[in-house]
Amino acid sequence: MPDSNRRGNPLLRFFGNQRWQFITIPLVAILMSLITASIIVLILGKNPLTTFQSLLQGSGFIPKPNYANFKNVFTDFVDTVDAVTPMIFASLAVAVAFHAGLFNIGVSGQMLLSGFVATIVVGYSPLPAVLAKPLVIIIGIIVGALVGGLIGFLKYRFNINEVVAAIMLNYIIQYTISFFINTRYVDPVSRQSRVISSASRLTLLNVPYGDIRMRIPIAFVIAILLAIFLWFFFAKMKPGFEMKMVGLNQVASRYAGVRIGKTLIMAMMISGALAGLAGVSYYLGFFSSIQPNVLTSVGFDAIAVSLLGNSHPIGVIFSSWLITALSRGGTYMSSMVGIRYEIAALIVGLILLFSAMSQFIRQRINALISRSDRR
Amino acid sequence: METIIIDGLSYALPLFIIAIGGIYSERSGIINLALEGLLGFGAFTGGLFVALLGKYFTHAGWPIYLSFLVAAIGGGIFALLHALLTIKFKANQVISGVVVNIVSVALTGFLTSQINASVFDQPSNRFLLSVLPRYTIPVLSDIPVIGAIFKNVYPFSFMIVVLFIIFWYIFRHSRYGMHLRACGDNPQAADAAGINVYRTRFWAVVISGALAGIGGMSFAYSISTNFSPAVYMGAGYLAIAALIFGNWNIMPTLFACLIFGFARSGAYQLMRELALPSSFSDLAMTIPYVLTLLLLIFFSKTNKAPRALGEIYDKSKR
Repeated sequence: MPDSNRRGNPLLRFFGNQRWQFITIPLVAILMSLITASIIVLILGKNPLTTFQSLLQGSGFIPKPNYANFKNVFTDFVDTVDAVTPMIFASLAVAVAFHAGLFNIGVSGQMLLSGFVATIVVGYSPLPAVLAKPLVIIIGIIVGALVGGLIGFLKYRFNINEVVAAIMLNYIIQYTISFFINTRYVDPVSRQSRVISSASRLTLLNVPYGDIRMRIPIAFVIAILLAIFLWFFFAKMKPGFEMKMVGLNQVASRYAGVRIGKTLIMAMMISGALAGLAGVSYYLGFFSSIQPNVLTSVGFDAIAVSLLGNSHPIGVIFSSWLITALSRGGTYMSSMVGIRYEIAALIVGLILLFSAMSQFIRQRINALISRSDRR
Repeated sequence: METIIIDGLSYALPLFIIAIGGIYSERSGIINLALEGLLGFGAFTGGLFVALLGKYFTHAGWPIYLSFLVAAIGGGIFALLHALLTIKFKANQVISGVVVNIVSVALTGFLTSQINASVFDQPSNRFLLSVLPRYTIPVLSDIPVIGAIFKNVYPFSFMIVVLFIIFWYIFRHSRYGMHLRACGDNPQAADAAGINVYRTRFWAVVISGALAGIGGMSFAYSISTNFSPAVYMGAGYLAIAALIFGNWNIMPTLFACLIFGFARSGAYQLMRELALPSSFSDLAMTIPYVLTLLLLIFFSKTNKAPRALGEIYDKSKR
C-alpha cells in the first residue's frame, strides 16, 4: 500500500529524502555529537544548555550579558569571521585536491611558507596599503601554488606519494623558517617574528563604527567569491570536470584523452594557491606575526572540515563556520561555566567523528526506510 | 660517532615499531593516518598508569615495564575507533585517520588536565614519568665502532627488537600474515578463499594501535620523560613516510627508519662539533627530511602500494 508509506515516520521521511541528504546527514552527525557532548558535560556536573549557550556567546552568535568598551556582539561576530577566513581557504584547498583524488596534508606548510614570504617581502616594506594588500595576496597565491605544484610534480615525475612529499616539505618549511625568524626577524620580547606594517595587513583593525571599534577581514570576501567560483569550476568547467574524472578513475580518464600528469599538477597548484591564501589571511590578517617552529593546526583540521562539508565548495563554508565558532567559544565557555576549555576541542572532535560515519548513517536511514516500505 | 649511533638508534627504533604497525594496517588494505593519534593515546594511558601507581605506591622499577604493556593496550583500544569507522561504518580511511588524530589530541588534552585537577589536585597538563635506566652490554660494547649499538641502550630498545622479530615472522611466515597480505591485495579473492576480510583487517588495525602505543610510550620516556601534548610531534606521520619509503615491507622500512634516526643524530652532532649557535639547530633539523626527500626521488620509481589500499571492502559488492 503506497499510501501508507507516505504517512510513515515523518522524521524518517525527512532524513530519508535523498535530494536533501547532503544537508540532513551532516545535521544528524552534528545532533549526535551534541548529544554525546551533553552527556560528557552532565557527567562533569554542569548544565549542557548553558555550556552551548556560552560557546555561542563566546563566538559572537548570541549576545553576552556585558561587554568591554567599544565591543558588542557584532565585534565578537566579526572576530569570528576573521578567524574563519583562513579555515575556509584551507578547507577549499583540501577539497580541490580531494576532487582530483589527491590528499593535500601539506596545507599547514604551504600556509607557513606563503605567510613568511609575504611577511618579509611586503610586511616589512614601507609600501602603501593600496599596493601592499594586493601584493600580499598575489605572493600568497604564487608561493602556495609553487609548493603545491612541486608536490604534484614529484608525484607525477618520480612517483613519490603526495602524502610523504607533503609531510617532508611541512617539516623542511617549518624548521627553515624557524631558523630565519630566530636569526633575522625575531622580536626579542614576544619571541615571534616582528609585527608587520598595518598597511600590509589583510584585516583592518579598530575601524570605528558608531560607538564600537571593529575588525574588517578583507580576505573573507575573497574566500566567499572563490568558493562560489570553485563550485562553478567543478560543476560547469572542462578542467574541473577533468580533475574530478582523474580523481574517480585514472585509467578511464587516460583512455578518454585526459593528460593525467598535467591535471594532477594543476590540481595541486590550485590547492596550494588556496593554501597560500589561507596562509596570508592567517599570518597577515588574523595574526600579524609568525611564531617560529610551530605548524598551525588549521591545515590539519581543514581536512576534517572539508569532509564535514562533503568537499563541496559551498558546504565547506558552512562547516568552517561551525568548527571555528565552536573552537573560538571555548575560552569564554570555560570562564562562564567552569569546565575546561579543552571540552570545546572535544566537541569539535566528536562532530568530525560522527560526520566521518555519514556514509554509515545514510545506509542505516535508507535501510530503515526500505524496511518500513516493505511492511 | 658513538653518540650518533646511540641517539640515532633510540630515535629510530620507536619510529620503526610504529611503522611496523602501520605496515600491518596498510598491507591489510586500511590506510592508517591515525598512527599519530594512536601513539599519543597509547602514551597517555601509559603515562596515566605510571601517575596512578605513583600516587598509591612508591615508584618501583616494574611500573616502567608494565607501562609499555598498558600503553599497548591503550593504543589498541583507541585503534578500535579507526577499525570501527573504516570497517564497520565504511568511512573514508584517510578521513577516519585524520579524525582519529584530532579526537586523540582533544581527548588526551582534556583528560590529562581533568584528571590532574580532580585526582591529583594539581593544575598541570602532563604526567611525570621516571627517568629510564640505560644498559650497556659488557663484552659486545667493547667492539670498536659498532660496539656503540650496545652502549647506553634504553630498555624499550631491547623490547622493540624482540617485537620486531616476532612481528616480522608473523607478517612473513604465519598464516595470519599471509591472509593479511591477501586482504590488502585482493580482498574479493581472499574472501572467496574463505578468509574473513573484516576480521583480518580489524585485527591488523588493532595491532597497529598497540605497536604505535609502545612507540609513543618510548618517545614519551626518551624525549621528555613525561606525557604531555608535546608527544604529538609528528612521529606518526614520519612513520608513515618511512613505511611508504620502505615500499610497505618491514626490512626496507627498518632501513628507512635507521637512515632517518642517524641523519637526525648526525645533524645534531655536526652542530656540536662546529660549535654553531643554537639557532642553527633548526637548520640541522631539516637534514633528515631533505635527505629522505632526495632518497625518495631515486627510490620511489618502483614503489607500489598494496593494490586494495584504501578500498572500502563490501562483501555484497562485486
